[in-house]
Amino acid sequence: MRIDVLSYTATTALGHGIDSIRDAITSKCSGLRHNDLDWCDLDTWIGRVKSVESTVLPAHLEHLQSRNNQLAWLGLQQDGILDVLDKLIGQIGADRIGVVMGTSTSSIGRTEEAYACLDSSGDMLEAYHQPEVHNLHSQGIFVARATGLNGPSLTISTACSSSAKVFATAARWIKYGLVDAVLVGGVDSLCLSVLYGFNSLELLSAQACRPFDQHRDGISIGEASGFAILTRERLVPGAEFALLGYGESSDAYHMSHPHPDGKGAILAMDQALVRSRLPSTAIDYINLHGTASKANDQVETFAVAQRFSAQTLASSTKGWTGHTLGTAGILEAIITLEAMKSNIAPGTLNCTFPDSGFAFPILTQNTRKTINYAMTNSFGFGGNNATLIFGRTND
Amino acid sequence: MTEVQIAGLGMWSPTFSNWEAFSNGINTGVWQAGVELQPALIPAKERRRAPQSVKLAVEVMTQACKLAFLDPAETAAVFSSAMGDMQITDYLCQTLATAPRAVSPTRFHNSVHNATTGYWSITSQSHTATSAISAYTYTASMAFLEAAIQCLEDQTPVLLVTQEMAAPKLLHDTCPSNQPFSAAMLLTSAGHCPNPIASVGFSISKKTCNWPKLPADLRQQLEGNFGARLLPLLATIAANGFTRDKTPVNLEFPLTANSCLRLSVTA
Repeated sequence: MRIDVLSYTATTALGHGIDSIRDAITSKCSGLRHNDLDWCDLDTWIGRVKSVESTVLPAHLEHLQSRNNQLAWLGLQQDGILDVLDKLIGQIGADRIGVVMGTSTSSIGRTEEAYACLDSSGDMLEAYHQPEVHNLHSQGIFVARATGLNGPSLTISTACSSSAKVFATAARWIKYGLVDAVLVGGVDSLCLSVLYGFNSLELLSAQACRPFDQHRDGISIGEASGFAILTRERLVPGAEFALLGYGESSDAYHMSHPHPDGKGAILAMDQALVRSRLPSTAIDYINLHGTASKANDQVETFAVAQRFSAQTLASSTKGWTGHTLGTAGILEAIITLEAMKSNIAPGTLNCTFPDSGFAFPILTQNTRKTINYAMTNSFGFGGNNATLIFGRTND
Repeated sequence: MTEVQIAGLGMWSPTFSNWEAFSNGINTGVWQAGVELQPALIPAKERRRAPQSVKLAVEVMTQACKLAFLDPAETAAVFSSAMGDMQITDYLCQTLATAPRAVSPTRFHNSVHNATTGYWSITSQSHTATSAISAYTYTASMAFLEAAIQCLEDQTPVLLVTQEMAAPKLLHDTCPSNQPFSAAMLLTSAGHCPNPIASVGFSISKKTCNWPKLPADLRQQLEGNFGARLLPLLATIAANGFTRDKTPVNLEFPLTANSCLRLSVTA
């Protein structure tokens, strides 16, 4: 299987666009900071994107106002992705390009705001009468309008695997011939639901998250947007990387704890290897889910050890960006592509004392290595798992 | 036009408790009243925590697998709902507006859109791929397309669920749904099941169309329910399964603002 990755961009706590990620990884500077949101009093660290609040939506999209859609718009302005898309629209037409978005938060932050300032009769204020925003497909509607794409449009929301699964859906749509290209993306924004929700589960760290560290004590929530243009093989000359395989599975174990033997994780990795027709020894680098929760990191290293040897480098990059929830899948897919581009496997930021109880060695330092094939894992609540494998097109 | 088959069906709303009752209602005009949802097979520990939306989805998914004589462990699942569990959204937003630290951890983890497929996989001990999607007002037709393509491309049976709960007051403008509805369709590729309930050819047409009318008896109850927008497909299967006439029936459902999903149904 081969689905070309024509272009991509990401906007995170590290900055706007790909260069900010590249620079931060090289300089080992985290984007996390102590919570400074004036509407949330939790003692935790967050990955907050600069200038989301001051991002102004264009007039024709004003009615779709929400922090999540502001972040989507900000993300679409980076790395010339709209120019690439416009060119592609000119070549194949807006009808032949689909939109598949992944998110866990969608625009729930806007709905929270609406509930916090009801009028005297208990109804939403006029400014919040936004049916196209208060639903799970808000970012799908927004992105399709913002880009002028006319193909089928869908939002996948499977918690933290959401925007990994957009690659699988897009691959199927392209292989089936429904469309010739898909703009895939993820947008998740900081909001009360996720901050106080993860707080209620006692999963938030009071420090910047420390994936795979023996003292890790929880996650840092981040916000981000990421986009990639996927096309059928060689539709546009010059694509450097391609999606070679995907795997999707369920733990069938617990709503918020991973399967203790990593059963679903192993299934997802196996499927992705089978689809990509690669032996596990071919994988040079794995961007792990690595949330810095006690359970995930333990189980994930166990699962990876069942299939990979130590010659495969593996790390988590959530110490840079925080856990961006439904957007983690595409963000970490993009970081994986960047690792292939630079032939530098990122280390695991904030992992100072790697847990000696792990079955698999974690890469702590940035390491130069030729990366021809790379994998990324995303595991979500509900035991929902997705794994992606990328390679070079060598065109 | 490519084709999938419907090997099993499960349905529930307050006026029909399964496919047989729905089919009977369509053909005789006799409906049940005030049907109570009997919790399905969710393990007791999980059932205590499972919200109504999950119980409803697991019920219809179980029904569809039983009717098809298919092991749930062999089918992928695509759960679709424009809004997800609106009772939980309403609870979360109200609580966050007043006492954010009081958010219930159970309700929070149940708020993920894929809570239904999470509980389903635990209940059925199925480790297959599951997804949870929304396309707002186009959710039901996009979900059919998504599930049908997955069925054909990944060569796996796919259990498609289209569901919407009743909307609380503050979300009613966004989703004018007054009654819960859920339907599960077990899609297989041709030849997978010896006795499918129906064959459905599908294609995309670049034109606009209106949503086909719901069966008259159910219109008042389910008009604003986005999950019920494929009901005309299910009503056609119910009506045709009752007759000897095997002429395909063509139906069109809006898919996007300027395209529609064309279905050719033989039952």
